[in-house]
Amino acid sequence: MAQGQPTLFRHALGFMDALRAAGLPADPAGAIDFCAGLQQIDIANAADFHAAARTTLMHRKEDLAHFDEVFREYWLGQRRPRNRLGEQDDSEVQGQEAQPSPEEEPEERSGPEKDDRQATYGTEQILRHKDLATLTDADIEKARRLIRRFVAEFATLRSRRHRASRRGRLLDFRRMLRRSAARGSELAELHFRQRQIKKTRLMLLCDVSGSMERYSRFLLEFIYALRRELPDTEVAVFATRMTVITDLLSARSVAQSLREVAHRAGDWGSGTDIGGCLRDFNDRYARDMLTSDTVVVLLSDGWDRGDAQLMRDEIAHLRRRAHQIIWLNPLLGNIDYEPLTRGMLTALPHLDHFLPAHNLESLARLARTLRTALR
Amino acid sequence: MSPTDFTSIDQVEAALTERRYIPDRALATTVFLALRLGKPIFLEGEPGVGKTELAKVLADTLDTELIRLQCYEGLDMHTALYEWNYPRQMLEVRLQEARGIDKERIGADIFSEDYLLERPLLKAIRHSGSKPPVLLIDEIDRSDEEFEAFLLEVLSDFQVSIPEIGTITAHQVPVVVLTSNRTRELHDALKRRCLYHWIDYPDVQKEIEIVAARLPGIEDDLARQLAFFMQRVRGEDLYKRPGIAETIDWAGALLALGTSELDAGTVDATLGCILKYKGDIEKLQTAGLEKLVDEARDAQAFAESPTTR
Repeated sequence: MAQGQPTLFRHALGFMDALRAAGLPADPAGAIDFCAGLQQIDIANAADFHAAARTTLMHRKEDLAHFDEVFREYWLGQRRPRNRLGEQDDSEVQGQEAQPSPEEEPEERSGPEKDDRQATYGTEQILRHKDLATLTDADIEKARRLIRRFVAEFATLRSRRHRASRRGRLLDFRRMLRRSAARGSELAELHFRQRQIKKTRLMLLCDVSGSMERYSRFLLEFIYALRRELPDTEVAVFATRMTVITDLLSARSVAQSLREVAHRAGDWGSGTDIGGCLRDFNDRYARDMLTSDTVVVLLSDGWDRGDAQLMRDEIAHLRRRAHQIIWLNPLLGNIDYEPLTRGMLTALPHLDHFLPAHNLESLARLARTLRTALR
Repeated sequence: MSPTDFTSIDQVEAALTERRYIPDRALATTVFLALRLGKPIFLEGEPGVGKTELAKVLADTLDTELIRLQCYEGLDMHTALYEWNYPRQMLEVRLQEARGIDKERIGADIFSEDYLLERPLLKAIRHSGSKPPVLLIDEIDRSDEEFEAFLLEVLSDFQVSIPEIGTITAHQVPVVVLTSNRTRELHDALKRRCLYHWIDYPDVQKEIEIVAARLPGIEDDLARQLAFFMQRVRGEDLYKRPGIAETIDWAGALLALGTSELDAGTVDATLGCILKYKGDIEKLQTAGLEKLVDEARDAQAFAESPTTR
C-alpha cells in the first residue's frame, strides 16, 4: 500500500477539487481526516471507502445526495479507470445511477437567485416588473416612526441567559463571594443576576399578490423600518412561490433594491397560494432561517386560492419552529371584514396574534398590543 | 476494549451487534474512524432512530463510563462545565474565623478543587479511569449559539481553564458523541471538527433484525409484519413519523398483549405507541388501518416466498 499511497492521495485531492467545483464544502480539515481515514480502512471495499469519504467530508444531510453523485462520477465514472475500486460493486453503483432519486433534484440546492423556473399557478400569474420606487406618500415619516415603535417592542424580549446587574431577583453568588473576600468575607453587598435583553430575530413573510397591491408602499416601508432596527431580520416575499430577498435589501439605494426585488420576485402582483408558499418556505428555508426565538410576521390579506388544509398544516409547522407567529392583515381594519376566507379560518388557531395593519392608527395599536402580549 | 483496540470496521460492527445495536455499515465506518482518529461523532437524524442509544451502547462496548450532557436553551458554562460550591465556601470561611485562624489566611484555600462542583464537561476532561469515557452531548440543536461556540473551544483541545485553579487538560481524549434532531442548523465550524453521519430510518430487513435483537421473545412473523407496517406508516404524510424507538416500544406492547399476528383492532388500540399526535392518529385511521394491516401482511407473505413471483 505504501507504493500506492502517493497516487491515492493525489486522487483524493483531485476529488476535493471535484467537490468544490460541484459547490460542495471540501475544507482542508476534512481532507486531512479523509486521508487519515483511508489509512485505517480497507480501501478495496468500495462501500467502506464511500462511507469514509462521506463521514469525513460532509456535514449536512442536504449535501449527501449531491455528494454521492460527485463521488460516483469521480471514482467510478468515465474520468477514472474502472479498476480503482472493487469491480463487482462498480456495476451495482452504476446501475443505481441510472435512476436518480427524487432528492437529487437540483431545486433543493439552488438558492433563490438560481430559482428561475416559471411559476405555473393560476391564470392570474402575470410576470410584471414594476417600478416600485415611483410611489410616494406624505405620511411616510410618521409611518416610519410608528413602525420603529412597533419594532422596539420585539427588540426587548428577554433571553434566558443571565448576566450581572445592579437590580434583579437572583443573587449572583459568584460575584458576592468574590467581592466579600476583599472585606474579610462579610456578605455586605448584594449582587444580582438578570436575564439579559436580546434582540429578537424577525422573519418577515410578505404577500405581494394582486390583492395586496394597494398596500405595497406600506409593505416596503415596513420592511425597511424593520431592517433598520433589527438588521438580522430576514425577508421573503410570496404570491405563488417563496422568494427570499434579504440580500437585496442591503443594496445602496432603495430605488435600486426595489427594482431588483420586483425583478427577482417574478410573481409580484399575481394570484396567491399561501399554503404552497409556506410549504416551500418550511421545506427550503425554515431550518436555516428560523430559530426558536424567531418571531414570524406574516403580512397578508388572507385571500387564498390554494388548499386551505395545506395552509393550516403549514402554519402549524411554522408555529412549532418559531417563537411566535403574528399575522398582520390590512383588511382586518375594515369593520365589516370577517376573516372568512377559508385559509384564514383554518389558520387562526395557530396564530399568536392576528392584528390589523391598514393605517397609521392600527400601527400604533399594534405597538401597544405587542408591548403587553410579548412579555 | 479501549477505543484504539478496534482494528477493522467489521470488529466495530460485531461489537455493536453483540450489544443488540444493529448499525448499518456506514455508521460502523464512522464509529471506527472516530475511534481511530480520535474525532467526535456527530449524529443527525429524525427522533427515535437510535442516536442517543449509540452512545450508550458505545460506552458499554468500551466498558467505560457514559457522561451525558443534555442540552437545552440557556444552557451555560456553569451547568455544563463547573460551578463553585458557594454555600460550602461561605461555611468554610465562617469555620475558619471561629477557629481563630490568621486573618490573612482566612479563605485562602476556598477556590481549590475541594470546592469545585464538576459538571459533565469537566467530569469528562478530568476523568481518571484507565479508559477514556464516552461523552454524550445530546440534542445539541436545543442549546444556543453561545454554548455552541464554547463547546467548539472545548472539543478542539479538550482543556478548560478555570481562572482560580489553572488549566485542566484531559489525560485521555474522551469519545465524544453529539446528537441533533435538526431543529436548527448548527454552525459549520463545530461540524467540521466531527465525523458526520445521518442516521436514516432503517429498511425493512434492518428493522426486522433490530426488533428481533431487542425483543428476543418475538415471533418472526410478527416482527416482519411490524416492520412492513412501519414502512407503510412512514410513507404517510405525518407530522411526526415514528422512529425505530417507537417500533420497539410497540413490539414490546404487542408482546405484552400476547399478540402473534397484526390485526386492525389491535393496531387501532395500540396506535398510541407509534404516533404521538392526535392529528397523525386520525390521519392514519382515515387512511384505513385494515388496508394498511392487510398490505403489511401481504408484503410480508410476498417477501417470504420470493420464488413464487
